[in-house]
Order: sequence, then C-alpha cells, then structure tokens
Amino acid sequence: MNPVAIPVLHSAVAIMTPLLLAAMGGLFTELSGMLNIALEGLMLMGAFASIVFTHFTGNMVVGIALGVLASMLLAAILGTVTLHLKSNVFITALAANLFASGLTVVLSFKLFGNKGVVVFDGIASLPRLDIPVLAKIPVFGDIFIGHNIFVYMSWVLLALCAWVLYRTPFGFRLRATGIHEQAMVSLGMRPSRYRFIAFLVSGFTCALGGAMLTLNLGAFVPNITSGKGWIALVVIFLGQKKPIGLLFAALVFGFADAFSNYAQGAWNVPADFILAIPYVFTLVAMVLFSIYTSRKNRVE
Amino acid sequence: MVDRMEKRRVTIVATLRNSIGAVVIVGIALAALVVLSLLLSETPMKTLRYFFLGPVQNTYYFGNMLNMAIPLIFGGLGVSLAMRSGSFNLGGEGQLYSGAFVATISALALARWGSAGVVVALLLGTCTGGLLAALSGVLRMKWNTSELITSFLVSNAVVLVVSYLIAGPFMDPATNLIATRMIPESFRFTRILEPSNLSSALFAAVIAVLVVHLYLYKTKSGYELRLFGLNPRFAAYGGIRTKWYQVWPMFLSGAFYGLGGGMAIFGTYYACMKEFSTGMGWNGLAVALIARHRPGAVIPAALFFAYIESGARNAMLHSDVTFEIASIVQSVVFFLVTSAVLQKIGSVQRRSV
Repeated sequence: MNPVAIPVLHSAVAIMTPLLLAAMGGLFTELSGMLNIALEGLMLMGAFASIVFTHFTGNMVVGIALGVLASMLLAAILGTVTLHLKSNVFITALAANLFASGLTVVLSFKLFGNKGVVVFDGIASLPRLDIPVLAKIPVFGDIFIGHNIFVYMSWVLLALCAWVLYRTPFGFRLRATGIHEQAMVSLGMRPSRYRFIAFLVSGFTCALGGAMLTLNLGAFVPNITSGKGWIALVVIFLGQKKPIGLLFAALVFGFADAFSNYAQGAWNVPADFILAIPYVFTLVAMVLFSIYTSRKNRVE
Repeated sequence: MVDRMEKRRVTIVATLRNSIGAVVIVGIALAALVVLSLLLSETPMKTLRYFFLGPVQNTYYFGNMLNMAIPLIFGGLGVSLAMRSGSFNLGGEGQLYSGAFVATISALALARWGSAGVVVALLLGTCTGGLLAALSGVLRMKWNTSELITSFLVSNAVVLVVSYLIAGPFMDPATNLIATRMIPESFRFTRILEPSNLSSALFAAVIAVLVVHLYLYKTKSGYELRLFGLNPRFAAYGGIRTKWYQVWPMFLSGAFYGLGGGMAIFGTYYACMKEFSTGMGWNGLAVALIARHRPGAVIPAALFFAYIESGARNAMLHSDVTFEIASIVQSVVFFLVTSAVLQKIGSVQRRSV
C-alpha cells in the first residue's frame, strides 16, 4: 500500500470520531422525527465545558462528566422550548447554536480574560490505547491502533446505539414516533417524551465529540467545532439514518478532512481553500446522494 | 362609512393583541440581559445603562444604530420572501459577503463610469447573491436536495473563498487592513446624519420594503409565491409553475442579501474587509423570523436587532462585558420567537394567504 495512504487513513479515523459521536446523537433526534441542527452548538458547549471543568477540577473524567452535563442541560432547554412551548425546532436549534457560541466566548472572557485561544497547560494528553489483537493485522492494524480512548469509545457507543434503537422497546417507540406520531398518541404514548430523551441523547454524544476536540488539543479555540455539527447532520443523511451507515459516512468525511490536511502540507494550497474542502465535499456528496435517491424513487 | 371605521378599529385591536406575544418575548430577552449583566459584570448598573441608553445617547450612536439596521432589513426581506414560498435560505452569510465583494471589485473596475457604475456594480453584487441562492433552489427542484442544507454549505465555502480573494489577489497593499482597495469617492452614498455612519442607503432599504410588500400582496407572481408556500400541492393543481417557485424565491432571497452587502460597502465601509459581514446573514434570518415573514414588520424587527447589537457594543466600550453578550440575548429571542404557546397570548385567530 502507498506509504502516504496509511498516515492519511490513520488520521481519518481520528478525525471522523467527533463526527461519528455527534451523528449518533443526531440519529436519535432524527429518527424521533426532529431535524436537530443544534448538534454544532451542543458539541461546542461540550467542548468548552469539558476542558474548563477538567482545568478547574484537575480530573479529566470529572471534567468530561460535567461537560456532558452542561451540553445535556442545553439540550434539555432546547427540548423544553421546542416541545412544551411548541416552537419551530429549526429556529430553537439555531438559537442553541447561537447561545453556545455566545456563551463560550463570554465565559472564556470572564474566566480567563481572553476571547481568543485559551491554552490549558496542566492538562494531560488523552490516554492512547493499543489493542494488541488489532496490531497484528497488516494495514488494517496500522490504521486502527494507537488512537485515543474516544475513538474506541465511539465504536462501543455506536454498537450500543444500534442495540437500543433496534432491540429495545424504547428504540421501537422512538422510531415509531418519527414514522407516525399520531399512531403513538392513539396507543396512549407521549411522542414528546421520546423526543425529549432523544434531545438529551444528542446532548450526551455531542458533548463527547466536542470534548475530544478540546482535550486532544489541550486548548479551547473559539468556535472550535467549525461546522462539524453540520457535517454530522449530513453524515446522518448520507448514512441513510442507519448506525452502520453513519460509520461509513463519517469515515468518508474523516478521509476528506485528512486528505485536505495532507494536501495543505504537500501541495501548498491556501488555507482558506483547505477549510472550504469539507463543505464542498459535503455538498457534492449531498447532491449525488439525492440524485441517487430521486432516481431510485422514480424507478419504483 | 361607519362600517369601514369599525372594521379598521377591529383590525387595529387585532394587530395589537397579536403583538402581545412579541412584546412578551422581547421582555424575556431583555430580562435575560439584566440577569447576565448582574452575573458577569462588576458594575452591572453601568453596563445596563450603556446597553439600554447607549444606542440613543447621541446622534452618533443613534445614526450608527440605524445604519446597522440597513443590511438587516435587506437580509430580512430576502429571507421573508424565501420563507413565504416555503424555502429555507440559510446561506445569507455567504450571499451577503460575496455580494459585497463583487460590488466592491466591480466598483473598482468601473471607477470611471460614475453613477451608472454604482448601479451596475450593485446589480452585479445583487446577482451574485441571487445566483448562489438560486443554485440551492435548482438542486431542490431537480433532485429534491434540501435547500436548507445546501444553501448553508455553499455559503460556508463561499465565505472562505471570498476571504481568500480579499487576503490574496485583491488585497490593497497600501494598508495594514486585510481589505480590498477603497471604492472611488463618486461611488459612496451621502452621509445623512453626521457625524454618524448613517447613509442614504436607508432610503433604499425603506423603498425595498415597500417594493417587497407590493410584490407579495399586489402582484400575481407574489400571490402565486405565497400560495405555493402555503400548499405546494394545491398550488400545483391550480396550475402554478411549481418548479419556478422553488428557484425564483431563492434567487430573490439571495439577491436581497447581495444587495444588502453592496449597500453596506457603498454606504458605510467603502472597502470590502475580510469577514466584515460576519453575523449579518444570520441576523437577517432572525429579523425575518421575528417579523414572521411580513415585509412591513421587518423594519421594527431590524431596529430591535440593531439596538441589541449597538447596545452590546456600547456596553463593551464603556463597561466590562464582551460584545458576544449580544448573541446570548439574540439566542433567547430565537428560542422563543416561534413558540406557539407564547404567540397565543392574547392573540386573535387569524389566517390569511
């Protein structure tokens, strides 16, 4: 195999993880019948809160737990306003994004007197995991070993999500809510309850995705999620709203990102163009996917 | 005659009762601001005074606040048109920025044309914004790709490309700013409230509101657009060209953003600075939502947003909070603005095409 390909694929696996985590939570809201564009804000909230709490408590596990809680709190506000005050989910989710980007900067200014990049020196790097069984497999092993703990956790979580969605009564009901809300009501169940829980789940996984971004870097950069929540949304659509589909779709984007990073170093492309690649790539993928679906629908 | 007056009285009462919900929402947002100041500021009273009174304390700040509302009015009109037709345009940021950029470089290229150049340059900027948005409309029409997501993605990519162009090939080497060269004097709008930045673009904004109002409510095309937005299937059975109304409103929507961008350059900035318009696109969207897609209501909604922004700017200058406090207040508005529960407070049921 090409010597360039392995490092690029290796970093693709790392880059895809926050996307995969956010997409997983987004899958819950999506299947419950709500378009959740707040993934971005929830990630940002988790990213900021995790590293700040890690800094103040001196313990990464506690920090991440509190970060997750902060993001879930925002998700709970989002859920309450949307479901109980009966607002347009699209607009409230936009509000959550705006709120997160405002609050993180305001708090960073208040706590550290700095609106820009905040570097946290005392924070240890994320623990890396070497799985000996994987290491033995050629090529495959080189790509999948030596990642940080979030990467492997995301796979376990994905399996868990698939199990919850497809093997538990809760999962059936959640999906039923998305397919036919009225049917749920007539069975005596409350769709808003399932949707609220779906929001909480998305807060949970998005926070983990965000936490990986900041803790990996040891710093908070304003707007560090930079569109990742939106791409996670596209991952859900491209992954055909199936857990296994998410994995492949996220890998595609991880690869695009890793490749553009590589291209920046190798071919000296202007940084702004590099940053634009994921959006263009996502756009092309979206369009191709919708051409494919519309063809398929026409044939049927 | 009496009948007509009675009818008018009923309409006014209904309008007032319908706005109670909006007042409640604005009230909650401002209450959030008070709470934030108490929590974040060492001198909360001072912060609040600058926030609330700063924008109206003198001609300078007042004019700047009105000036800030101009691009929001254009953006708000654009989004309202798209929303009325049932399309979502999330690409305001890129449409406004690229419209401003194209208007600027056209102005630089057409420097010798004088006032004809102004019109052509603004038109080119307008079309740039319009075509970017129309692309999403075409994708939706042809393959049912969600215009909501594509407009956002296109916009994000375009913002980066425009930034690259400003910082690279079009950068003015004479200044330290990352910006294009300044547009010629003859292209700049007159200042109408010295010493503030307020320019005659304000009149253009007011005229634009009138035009959009007339278009939506007094023309056949506007009627078809609203009908398509309310019920696409009914519109199709009624013989309305549904394909056209998936693209045309998006074009108009982007065009207004592009025009707003051009106006901001010709009226205020005189050169296209890197990322000068960050946030304007989103705020235009917010304005349209608060106005509930009614062109007439876009002006007060834009003024409200401009007030919050300039209040935050004032509080930042004179006190110890940062500007981003504005986005928190705005987000509170967003959270509540579409709430059916809050809107129902005191409202009279009314449904119109």
